[in-house]
Amino acid sequence: MRAPAIRAVGLLSGWGEGAASVPLDAKAAAAGRAVLEVERPALDPERFRRSRRECLMGVAAVNVMLEDAEQGPAAIAGERTALLFATTAAYAPSNRAFIESRGGSTYFPYTAAAAVPAEVAIAFGLTGPYEILIGGAPATMRAISRAAALLEAGACDRAIVLAVEVFAECADVFARMRRAPRGPLVETAACLWLERGEGTLAFDRRRGAGGRDGARRRLGEMLSCEPLATLALAREAEGEGPVTVTGTWRGESARLEWSGRPYRTRPRAA
Amino acid sequence: MPRPERIAVTAAGVVTPIGQDLDTFWSALLTGADGISPIERFPVQDLRVGQGGEIKKLTRAVDWRRVPDSRATRLLVSAADDLCVQAGERPLNVDPERLAVVVGTALGGVEEGERALAGSPRRFPGALYDAPGHGLGRWLGARGPVITVSTACASGATALGLGAELLRRGEADAVVAGGYDILCRFVLRGFDSLRSLTRERVRPFDRRRSGLLLGEAAALVLLRREAEAGGRRLGTLLGCGSASDAFHIAAPDPEGRGIERAMRAALAEAHVDAADVDFVSAHGTATPLNDTIEAAALRRVLGSRASVVPVNSMKGAFGHAMGAAATLEAILCLLAGRHGQIPATLGLEELDPACDLDCVQGVPRAARPRVSLSTSLGFGGCNAALVIESA
Repeated sequence: MRAPAIRAVGLLSGWGEGAASVPLDAKAAAAGRAVLEVERPALDPERFRRSRRECLMGVAAVNVMLEDAEQGPAAIAGERTALLFATTAAYAPSNRAFIESRGGSTYFPYTAAAAVPAEVAIAFGLTGPYEILIGGAPATMRAISRAAALLEAGACDRAIVLAVEVFAECADVFARMRRAPRGPLVETAACLWLERGEGTLAFDRRRGAGGRDGARRRLGEMLSCEPLATLALAREAEGEGPVTVTGTWRGESARLEWSGRPYRTRPRAA
Repeated sequence: MPRPERIAVTAAGVVTPIGQDLDTFWSALLTGADGISPIERFPVQDLRVGQGGEIKKLTRAVDWRRVPDSRATRLLVSAADDLCVQAGERPLNVDPERLAVVVGTALGGVEEGERALAGSPRRFPGALYDAPGHGLGRWLGARGPVITVSTACASGATALGLGAELLRRGEADAVVAGGYDILCRFVLRGFDSLRSLTRERVRPFDRRRSGLLLGEAAALVLLRREAEAGGRRLGTLLGCGSASDAFHIAAPDPEGRGIERAMRAALAEAHVDAADVDFVSAHGTATPLNDTIEAAALRRVLGSRASVVPVNSMKGAFGHAMGAAATLEAILCLLAGRHGQIPATLGLEELDPACDLDCVQGVPRAARPRVSLSTSLGFGGCNAALVIESA
């Protein structure tokens, strides 16, 4: 399929803001910490008084992306922008709080997987095509592929692919899982601004093919955010294509290969 | 927009409170069977509303030892078992590497989370929202993509759209697509706390409607590229559209602009004019707000024909089946075309003038819709619509 161009990236993680904040070796940088947490972003406390941390992380990541593009929210508002959201378990903390009765009627809507993209859509006025995929890195890669298809079909003029993962509230749960993700668990919200581009995008998946991406060593475990963070790192490193991203989840390996030049912009100077 | 490749729906399977196979489900819709009952599977004494569309016992002859002890997975497997029977293929006649699964859900395996936090930590992995879909994939022996989508109560439509895309992109030769959700204490307590549930009967589009009830179900369809579908088919999935409200975390846009955009996008992808729509399988939750909004949006999309296009909502029969609802509504479109009858909207007795549509009321209507539109709205401003052509 026709490859989309990456106009801007937004990356907010337990390592900090932007690709430059990512260490060379996650395990060493974590220094024994199991979870690298993102503090509740300081957004308008009145507007977001009921919103949960994972939702605010999504909104903050889109703000970072807009800064990267040197654009304001008006540039993405409206029905010509698609929003594709992926997560493995961003809903888990709110689900847990509700089950343990720490949330009442006000908070029940935030238990939905749709809560994070809903807050993002509301905050930025995104009213175009809207899809939410659940799973690890392959779900995000599929969201990118879906965005490419929507752009190719003319269903939108731009697509925001967003992924969010939070771990702090359920760190004990992840630790008890038999096939627990290998740490450090790095909370992340990451997004891409995609537009119609040139070249081709190949999405391929295989079952049981293994293969951990080299970026994982730097990033730590980001689950669904890993492909987006990898693309942010790749731009930081080279700024040119082609770029290949791989990821695994539940025994499924996926590979996304961008031919040509995926990036429309260079990283902003620090 | 280029005309997309046509995707055939070759079979369907369901498990619902009014029938655990396609034929029983359809008969029950036509006869007005009532699937609402007091909930027995978990405690509800502390809730305002303790009734819903509960499946009392799974009756299909499945070897449950091969299926995880998760109700969500078991509903999916029940529907898949029916699907295989309806398709006349058990196992499905496709290379496992080329068989994909796409399911939509609002709740995933959340009940496993409840059980895990109550003292069964080994159940935590099952609480992830994509766990039941992978359980279904294993039961089917699928080695192609296994995908879970969660656009709240529009999930069952999103799944069909994504399933069609997998076929068009050549990622699979057959896709089992659909939706599911179970009734559990988590969701009942949530909707109860929102006071969205009615203590009366569910009355879609009725002047006296006072809210929804929840139901549990799973519904699946088998999708193949039309050129490879052979003679057996229920119909064709022509188009799918989605849109975000960007309005409120839980309430729909009062203008219904999101669902209107989704309908227009689906019609555009299908290359179908609104004037060609013969039937609408509506979301029709029976909440005061939803039905008015949906009716207004349908009037804008269908124009002057809004008053003559028959409309049905099945929520009165067994409540709102959440992630399964949109797939069930799509299946209803296919069955109406096949059997030449549109079921009545159970619970509708006095049409609300604010919902001025041709809602099928009282008894089924003899009509054989060729092109149908199915609409879905969900939490978080999720809207989706499907355009379906009957065989």
